[in-house]
Amino acid sequence: MTWQKYILTFAITAAIFGTAFYIASRLDAQRIADIRSTQDAISIDILSSETQFELLGNLDCSTISQNPVLSEELNTLAGKLSVAEQNLGSTNNEVVQLKQQYSLFEIKDYLLMQQISSKCRGFKPVYVLFFYSNAGDCQDCNRAGDVLTYLRQTYPGLRVYSFDYHLDLSALRTLEALRNVAGNKLPAFVINNRPAAYGFRNLADMQKLIPELKTLATSTATTSAGI
Amino acid sequence: MDIGAAGLYVCLFVALYFEVFLLVSFFEKKPALKTSLPPKRYPTVAMVVPCFNEEKTVGTTIESLLALEYPKEKLQIVVVDDGSKDGTRAIAESYAARYPQVTYFYKENGGKYTALNFAIAHTTTELVGCLDADSFAAKDALVEAVKEFEREGVMAITPAMKVYRPRKMLELMQAVEYTFGIFYKKMFDNLSAINVLPGPFSMYKREVFEKIGVFRHAHNTEDMEIAFRMHANGLKIVNAHTAFVYTTVPQTVRSLLKQRTRWSQGFLQNARDYKYMFFNPRFGNFGMLVLPFGLMAFCAGLYTAGYALYRVLAALAVRAIDLFSTGVPLQVPTAAHLSWYYLDTNTLSFIILAVLVMTLVAIYLGSRISETKLSPKSFIAYFAFFGLIAPIWLARAAWGAVLARESAWR
Repeated sequence: MTWQKYILTFAITAAIFGTAFYIASRLDAQRIADIRSTQDAISIDILSSETQFELLGNLDCSTISQNPVLSEELNTLAGKLSVAEQNLGSTNNEVVQLKQQYSLFEIKDYLLMQQISSKCRGFKPVYVLFFYSNAGDCQDCNRAGDVLTYLRQTYPGLRVYSFDYHLDLSALRTLEALRNVAGNKLPAFVINNRPAAYGFRNLADMQKLIPELKTLATSTATTSAGI
Repeated sequence: MDIGAAGLYVCLFVALYFEVFLLVSFFEKKPALKTSLPPKRYPTVAMVVPCFNEEKTVGTTIESLLALEYPKEKLQIVVVDDGSKDGTRAIAESYAARYPQVTYFYKENGGKYTALNFAIAHTTTELVGCLDADSFAAKDALVEAVKEFEREGVMAITPAMKVYRPRKMLELMQAVEYTFGIFYKKMFDNLSAINVLPGPFSMYKREVFEKIGVFRHAHNTEDMEIAFRMHANGLKIVNAHTAFVYTTVPQTVRSLLKQRTRWSQGFLQNARDYKYMFFNPRFGNFGMLVLPFGLMAFCAGLYTAGYALYRVLAALAVRAIDLFSTGVPLQVPTAAHLSWYYLDTNTLSFIILAVLVMTLVAIYLGSRISETKLSPKSFIAYFAFFGLIAPIWLARAAWGAVLARESAWR
């Protein structure tokens, strides 16, 4: 019996574990890079939309409404962020930073939509501000997210802006204050600037809560996004 | 990381350590190729066929022994009928009447070990072998086995066991498992730590029984206990990887579970009887690696299966509750989710992958050692079913061992 072999085997096994950890870390880093790249693209999209809006003003509302501001990338980004959050944890610095940036994009997009809808009479977007928490104090938030994801897939015209209520972001604090959203009754939904509605609702009840859905066209959805 | 996942990492570390250890052993000493050299001499051999209600296969087993390429005057075939109630007696007696090499004994039912001891007491040959009545030896198996006895100090040999004509999915699964077994049995030989002398074609020098006594009941795993006892007494066991023996394997889940529960429970109970050998360097790699890792593998298998089952059931329950409470219809994953981004690429996934790759390498080496060809269907059967069925017999064995309830031989 040779002790060296036992030690050598231990070293090889530990090396395999180390390699597995290294590869997983590299792929996580790749994911973060992927999200950053998507966010860069969205940043350009939003800047372009804002510029387009400033250039056209309310003179050509049809052009603006035919080019949705909330790009497909923003939906995809939500899904990717959700995966990154699951893998790296919601307290991971990179994840928090990316979520902050994502939330800022959402707020900017939301404000832009408000401006367009006030200037273009024919443009009546239906939007939901969805406030959730994944700090363990909201058992129903995931299920509420599932319902909204499904609705967004079914009605491409429905704009859902999801916000982590506890995210440390001053702009988000301001939005929460403006819409009078209380953090102790999550999930919360602000639909087309109406007062916040609280608590989980299933698909049928959520459809009742958003009667404007009847004005939107349905389609077979191909994308999904988590909270 | 939760405690459950941490336990899984420990189990995987143990599994990977064991596989790496065997692979290191392989590259240290690769198995020799089969040669056409005859043995230096042909010792007298008694091949014992213990049987109990084996009318379907006993004839073929005797035929395979009669066909062995070995001097007839040196080979005695001893059929010991352990009180069969079917047509075993008539078949075996007909062979005894036609072939002087074949001797038939009938005795009261007492269990396999009593049949083996009966044969040992009624023979005087230098070597004593055993061939279960559901197994068949290759023509050159005895010559290959005898050549191994020429190695210094060898007191017993085990063959390379293959599955006889695997066709059904359960047989194909076992074909892969046996091929994996051929690899690790040979590596245990490299480590001088073979842990079982299976019924199909294991052979002993007669002096083994003179030195350490005959077979014992040993919780219906006399083939395992005698290996433990040989190690305890410093007697050498080797693997004759070129001596091929084919065995029929259980074809139903029920019979497979019964067989494997007996084996696993036998391991636990024998391990308890020989607990003084655990982590005792006096017993070499057998005490330091094979026994502790055998027990750890048992626990790790149970833990991993239990944890996986819990995770799957919990996820399904949550999903079902979500679907029911949200009213959202079930959706298939979209093309967007086929991107690498959504693959589960955490550390655990890569470690599981490493264990699977090591297992595949071991199976490949086993197939090379034993000249076995495995079909893709066999691998599908192995990876689809083994992980589902094995935990059941592990759990049953653990339960049986805790209650100290004896498992059935047949």
